[in-house]
Order: sequence, then C-alpha cells, then structure tokens
Amino acid sequence: MVVEIEPFSLGEGLLYWILVMVAAVIVSLIVGFVASLAAYGASGPRRVALVIQNGIKDLLFLSPRRIYAVALLTFKEAQRRKAFMIGLLFLALFMFGGWFLGSGAASDRAAKPFVIFVMTAMSFLLILMALLVSCWGIPADIKARSLHTVVTKPVRRSEIVIGRMLGYIGVLTLVLVATAFCGYFWILQKVPANAQDQLIARVPVYTPKLEFLDRNGNPGAGLNVGDIWEYRGFVEGGTNARAVWTFENLDVAQLKKAGELRLEQSFEAFRTFKGDVNQQLRYTLTLLNPTTKLRIPIGTYSVQEHSNSAEKTTVTIPAELTYRDSYDVSATEKKVQIFDELFDNGSLTVEVGGVESQQYIGASKYDMFIRLPDRTFLATYTKACLGLWLLLVLIVIIGTSSSCFVKGPVATILTGSLIFVGFVFRSRIDKVLGDLVATSTGPIGGGSFESMYRLLTQMNAVSPLSDNIGTRFIKFLDQGVFGILRVVNAMIPDLQYFSTSEYPANGFDVPWATVLLPSLAITVGFLIPFIILGYFSLQLRELEHK
Amino acid sequence: MSDNVIEIRNLSKVYRDFWGRPKVKALNSLSLEVKRGEIFGLLGPNGSGKTTTLKLLLGLLFPTEGTVNILGRPAHDVEKNERIGYLPEESYLYRFLNADETLDFYGRLFKMSKAERKKRCDALIQRVGLQGARRRQLKEYSKGMTRRIGLAQALINDPELVLLDEPTSGLDPLGTRDMKDMIIDLRNAGKTVVMSSHLLADVQDVCDRIAILYRGELKVIGSVQELLESREETQILTSELKPEAVKDIEQVLQRHGASLKTVSHPTSTLEDLFLRTVAESEARPGRRFEPGERPTSGK
Repeated sequence: MVVEIEPFSLGEGLLYWILVMVAAVIVSLIVGFVASLAAYGASGPRRVALVIQNGIKDLLFLSPRRIYAVALLTFKEAQRRKAFMIGLLFLALFMFGGWFLGSGAASDRAAKPFVIFVMTAMSFLLILMALLVSCWGIPADIKARSLHTVVTKPVRRSEIVIGRMLGYIGVLTLVLVATAFCGYFWILQKVPANAQDQLIARVPVYTPKLEFLDRNGNPGAGLNVGDIWEYRGFVEGGTNARAVWTFENLDVAQLKKAGELRLEQSFEAFRTFKGDVNQQLRYTLTLLNPTTKLRIPIGTYSVQEHSNSAEKTTVTIPAELTYRDSYDVSATEKKVQIFDELFDNGSLTVEVGGVESQQYIGASKYDMFIRLPDRTFLATYTKACLGLWLLLVLIVIIGTSSSCFVKGPVATILTGSLIFVGFVFRSRIDKVLGDLVATSTGPIGGGSFESMYRLLTQMNAVSPLSDNIGTRFIKFLDQGVFGILRVVNAMIPDLQYFSTSEYPANGFDVPWATVLLPSLAITVGFLIPFIILGYFSLQLRELEHK
Repeated sequence: MSDNVIEIRNLSKVYRDFWGRPKVKALNSLSLEVKRGEIFGLLGPNGSGKTTTLKLLLGLLFPTEGTVNILGRPAHDVEKNERIGYLPEESYLYRFLNADETLDFYGRLFKMSKAERKKRCDALIQRVGLQGARRRQLKEYSKGMTRRIGLAQALINDPELVLLDEPTSGLDPLGTRDMKDMIIDLRNAGKTVVMSSHLLADVQDVCDRIAILYRGELKVIGSVQELLESREETQILTSELKPEAVKDIEQVLQRHGASLKTVSHPTSTLEDLFLRTVAESEARPGRRFEPGERPTSGK
C-alpha cells in the first residue's frame, strides 16, 4: 500500500472555506444585481434585496416538523419504488464474486481481494444509487407536479431541499448498513483460515522526518535507481549509507503500556545483480538516542518485499532488551530499558542500512512506522464504511442541490463529473493552481492575458516583459483569473480523503485525523453552501412556467 | 379588517422563452376582489388565464406586473398558506401513498398534532366518501376518487380560503353533484371559495359572483343573479293552466301593454333527471322504466 498522507488542518480549512464563501457571495450578489437591473430596470435591486431578505428568513426559521415530513415522504417513496432492491443486487454480486475470488489467490495476500471486492461493490452500487435518487427526485416531483401541491402548503423551499436530502441520506444509510453487515460476515466466511490473521487494523505512527546518509556516512540524499517516481530514496547495501527516521512527540507512556515496541517496514528492494536467489535482501535495524549517543543494534532482517503479512514485516522489540554494542558475537551483552533509555523526550531515532553490497533498500517516509496496539478488523471496516457514508452524503448534497436548477439527467452528469474530477484531478489542479499563484514571476509565459500579449507582440515565452503600467495591468488581470480559478476549484470537492477502502484491505486502521476528519469537514463544508444554492434555485424557479 | 380576502391589482403575466423573449401574454392588467364568505367563479375558455390567475395567487408563478394580496399578505408569503387550501386541476399528489398517508403527510405540513391529524383525516375521508379505499395507493384510484382525495387534502387545514381549479373536471354527474354540494357546504361554513371552471352550469349552480376572462383580460364581473337576470321580461310560474285561462291572461297582459311570448311546461335539467334515475334505481334495484315514464323521487 502506498501511503501518501496529505496533512489536514481544520483551522486552515475553515479559513479557506470562509474566504471562498465570501468570494462566492460577492460574485453572486454582483451577478444578481446586474441581472435584475437588466430584467426589471430600476426596481431590480429592490427585488434582489427582497429575495435575500426572504431567503435569510427561510433559511433560518426552519421547521423540524416539516423537514421530517418531507424526509419521511422521501423514505416512503424509495420504499414503494423498491429502491431497496439494490440490496438484492449486492447479494447477487456476492454470490458470483465468491466463485472467482475463492480460489487461486496467493495465501499471503488472500484477505485483501475479498475486502477490496466488498468495499468496491458497496461503493459502486451505493454511489450509483446516491446519484440516481438525489438527482432525479425533485425533477420528477416537478414534472409530476406533486411538488406544486406541497409548495401551496406553508412549507419553505429550504425545508423541501433539506427534507429531501435527509430522506435520501436515510435511505442510503439503511442500504449501506445492510450491505456492510452482509459484507462483513461474507468476508469473515470467505477469507481462508490461513489468511484470517490479515484481518486486523494496525495503528501506525508515521514520521515525516526521514534523512539519508551517503555511503560514507555523511548526510545526503537517497539514491535514485532510475525511477521517475521519487517516492522512495535508495540506500546502498554494504556501505555506511543509512536511512534515518526520527519519530517525535511520541506518547511513550502509551507505548510502554503495550510492553513492547513494534516497528514495521514496507521497503522496496533493488538489485544490480541477482545474488542469492534463495535469500531476500537484508537490512540492519538500529535504534539510537542522539542525546546520550546510545546505539542499540536490534538485528538483521529480510525485506519481505512480496509479503503482505504484517507479522513478517514487523520487528518486535521487548521493553527490556539484551544487546551487544556491535554485530560481533563475542561482544559483551548489555541490558537496556528501551522506553526509559532510548526515547529522548518522546523522540526515537531508527536507522536502517543494507547488508548486501550492490543491492539497494528503497525507503520512503512512510515505509517505517511504529505499530501501536492493533484494533479489530471490525473497527477499521466500520470506519471505512463511515468514510463511504460521508461520500454518499456529499453526493446527495450536491445531487439534490443541482436537481433544483437542472433536470435529472443534467444533474446526474453534473454531480457525477464533480465526483469524478474530485477523485481524479482535484489534487493535481490544486498543485497547478498553487504553483501559479505561489511563484513570484508566475508561470512561464504568464497567464492567459500575458500569453495573448506575447502572441500579439510576437514575444517568446521567457523574455521578461518591460515594466510599465500596461504590463502591470496585464499581470494584475492574470492574477485575478488565477483567483477566480481557485474559487471555482474550491467548488470541486477534494475526494482524496474519502478513499478509505485501502485501509481495511491492507490491514490498517482508518485514521481519524488525516482521513475521517477531513472527509467530515468537506462534507459539512459543502452542506451549507449547497443548501443555500438549492434553496435559491428552487425559490427563484417558476414551478409552473410554460 | 378588510372584507376582501383577495385583492388583485393590475396583474399581468407574460410567459417568456428561454432567451427571455415574450412568448404569450397570459394575463393583462387584471384587477378584482374576492369578498369573504362568497363563492367566486373564474370563467373563460381554455387559455383565458383562469389557471394562471390561480397560480399567481398561490405563488407558483411570479407576476410580470401588478400585485396580489391574499388574506392581507403578498402571494409569495409562505405563511399565508396556513389559511389556504388548494385543489389543483389534476390533483397532483404522490401516487405511491394511500389516502391515509396522503392526508397525514399534508397534515404534518401544518401545525397539527398527531391526534388532530388522525381526527381530521377520518372526518375528511368520510366526507369525500373514500372510506372503502383509504388503504389503496392513489395510483389505483379512478379520476373521480383522485379528485375527492385532492379536495380532502385541500381541506386538511380547515382553510379560510379554498382555491379550486376545475373542481368538477372529469367527474361523473354524481361526483359533480357531490363536489358542488361540498363547495356550498364550505360557503355555509363561512369559508371563501374561488373556483375556476369552463363548465358554465356548474358555476351557475354554486357561484355567488363570477368573473369572465377572455384572452387574459377581464370582460365581465358581478353577481350571478344580477348578470343573468333579464329585466326586460317577466316570468310567472303557476300550477298547470287550462287554455281558457291562458287566453284570459293574454287579454289582461294586452290591457297592460304587454304581450305573452311563450306558454310552456318548465323542464328540469338533465342532471336532475340523471340524479333522480340513479336515486330511484338505488331505492328499488331491478326496476326498469317504461318508455316515456319518468322517475319521480329526487334527492
């Protein structure tokens, strides 16, 4: 499993959200006033002010009773239209999936395909269901005109939007719970007995601090063995080259309570010659306290590069360790209390070197971690389902809101596209836009206005522009465009956090701080503006327009 | 407090196309008032603007010009709906619900407790005669039953003002009679009723005042009695007269400068005949009428 942890700060996220909201509100107000002036002349702005005034009232004075009534109606609608039949489809998939997955898998990896299968099947079916129910419900109501009868009752349109959302969420929650329940027991039953130990939830403690020592033991960088992907740096075996991880701010009392220290690795091996085909690449593991200079060689271990078994890649170190100063077997044995003598104010340094010369150990920041006491598979599976549930909630929010201003098929395409872009491209767009704004000179050739200027004046992309009021204005316009692009980009949900199925599949606990909290924050962050968007779309729409 | 339940001033509605270009002028400077406690009929051929007027009153459409006040509040005010009941032209209800669930759902949208809803649902289902079908989904209902449940949902909140769009459309004569009776009952209970229809006989039967629209413009407004009364002629209804008596009357009329135009037996309406036939048939199953024989028992 490739781990790429995107740090998430709730405070920064909240600030960014407020900025985007303010920008969106300002843009909407400007558009609203201009459009109203064009449509109604001088009375236009007064109409806009009235709409806003009523909107605030409608969004603040909500009736839980009426919201509940609409949600209950939605639930009944799904029930009567047999939306829950999707559960049967899920069961059918299990039946057929069992035939293909039950045989032929390597015993070492047996648990993963079963977990992935269940999570993927649930995701696909429920995402599809969420898209369809949320994008088609309100347009169908408008087409059948049943909504028209509802709005002649004292129901605020915000209550209809929220009630519909809650109803869809209720339906999806029920289906998710039922399918997750079946899926869990299916996994337990289908995973072979010799792979049941892979159904665990390891709790890793990673460190972002990885340094490399070169072959002479001096600080340097990890070697590149020809990969374009620079995720790992490589350490040359049989030399003084080392990969050094420094773990900081560890909760030593918690580790001590476990009575042992567990270090797990997921190194990659790179060979410049075949070597002994019967032996895996080996690495040395050393713990050290930089303050007291205490170095404790723990031992030599094989990389286990093709293993998914956590037990094979984990080194367990007892709290009281008998060791020798060097790898010389005749050296005197000593005893050390690792939690008392090795940990320096909650910090621990771990050093890894290769054994065989001309062979290389590939290491990234996340290839070495401390394993806290494991949690149950049920715990991580439930958290992964919670992540999926948050994704479904997000789809319902976006789908329901978009169905308030476009018809069902368009709303489905719009929501589906947002979800697709959010999963596949959002982080890349973030990076590109970040680069555009972050660099002082901007991108090569400038933004769209500067590029146009260069084209018209037949100037190449790298020659500096002359500094005058005209070129400064062009750069100012480009920065404005970048700013608008950033606001538009913020409308696309960052869904990298919602990919939770890899965690239980690989036997890891789904982390709260870097996965579930960002997912929850994004969902709530989209909920508020999309309720407002849905409300105004429905409120300003003439339901009976011919 | 104003005696007018509805006040419409210079109301115009222009339907526009996607690009905002005017497509149809559905209503042109309509001004009228509806008084508390009356049954007011909006008449006109198809496309005259009756339904548009009702939808503007309910806030389902936005006026191009003019103002609409209902129960002292503007049309877009949601809170006015607490005191309004609306029966749409096609009873646009949720077809997957049954009658009980339908009324319970709409009841929940008002400030009604569970006990109140239950009581009101029972009473309304009884009132519209759907006791035997209350557990059936609306998709299984006939047109007449759908109209009945539509009326029941419009009355769930015991509204002060009831707006009925083509209330008798699609109903058989019995259903039509029931609907008209219910409309009159509403007026007798102090409610104000506004109904649109192009079935003139129905409107004449129940309405106190009417407005006739044509191509979006108000052509005539007034009480039914006043509008239909012919002041140039006098009608006297007596028991059956012999020919000599008719001659005497003619001479009397000539002495007073008047002339006898027609002497005939009054006819009842086809609706009355139909209702009498059904009532007689229910009272005496299997009875067949001879040619020329007429049922005598009325409702």
